[in-house]
Amino acid sequence: MSITAAKQHILDTTGFSYNFDRQIYVNHKLKKAFSIEFVSDNDEKTLMERIATKTERWQFNFNVEPSESVKRDLEAVLG
Amino acid sequence: MASAGRTIEDRLREEYFDLLPEIRRVTDQLETEIRYRLLGISGNLGGHERLVVASRVKDCESALRKLRDFQEGSIFDVERPEPYTLTTLNDLAGVRILVFPRRRIEEVDRELRTAFRWEADPIKEDDEVLALKYRGYSPASGKIKGEYQVMSILAGLFWEVEHSAMYKPDVRLKGVARHPAMVQRRTDVMQALKAFEEQFEALLQGSQDA
Repeated sequence: MSITAAKQHILDTTGFSYNFDRQIYVNHKLKKAFSIEFVSDNDEKTLMERIATKTERWQFNFNVEPSESVKRDLEAVLG
Repeated sequence: MASAGRTIEDRLREEYFDLLPEIRRVTDQLETEIRYRLLGISGNLGGHERLVVASRVKDCESALRKLRDFQEGSIFDVERPEPYTLTTLNDLAGVRILVFPRRRIEEVDRELRTAFRWEADPIKEDDEVLALKYRGYSPASGKIKGEYQVMSILAGLFWEVEHSAMYKPDVRLKGVARHPAMVQRRTDVMQALKAFEEQFEALLQGSQDA
């Protein structure tokens, strides 16, 4: 799969911006991040479901679940 | 796990400079072999035809960045049990063969495939092959892989300009290139360059036939 215009539209309209240093889509308000690989490999429905779920802590939507240390480092970078 | 006070990046920089003489050997061997294998073609080019062979050793920070970009979120995992190593990169030693006109690409590719028998990994965007790419080990090293690419001269020169003008000043900017909007624009440029070359070749062929 790839990052289609439809996926990009979903991310744009739900307030995600592209962090080029980390190559992830980030929404600080929702505390969610999507890796470019995850967005490429999953369909629009999955993206919308992940965006709709409520979360307290940062939610990292990656193809491979990141380790706690990676989550900590990314949280520190994203603020 | 990284030892106290040293980051993963520190250790990888040390590894890079340990590997550098071997990377240079692989690059030199690959470039020399390719030039030799292509003598039959380069010695018989028409006046307007071009065949440029250029090699490069990947620089330290680009190598680190590339390895980091293989990890989702572009971040090294300090808890990863096995250490990261730059030897997993395929393009520490690279050669690019730029060809004009496009019909010569097939000829060059056939010659080199016969000589190297390496793994093919073409560069594609939107299912269109932009460049032929191969990787494998050479007699110069069993540790450092070499990579060569064969592409049209205009495409190759565009990539060089794009890289040196946009990403080289700050290696972090490389991530911009993966944004879908940039991918789309790059595909547009490549298609325009291809059409430009095909038109040129068609006109040239027409004038030779006239």
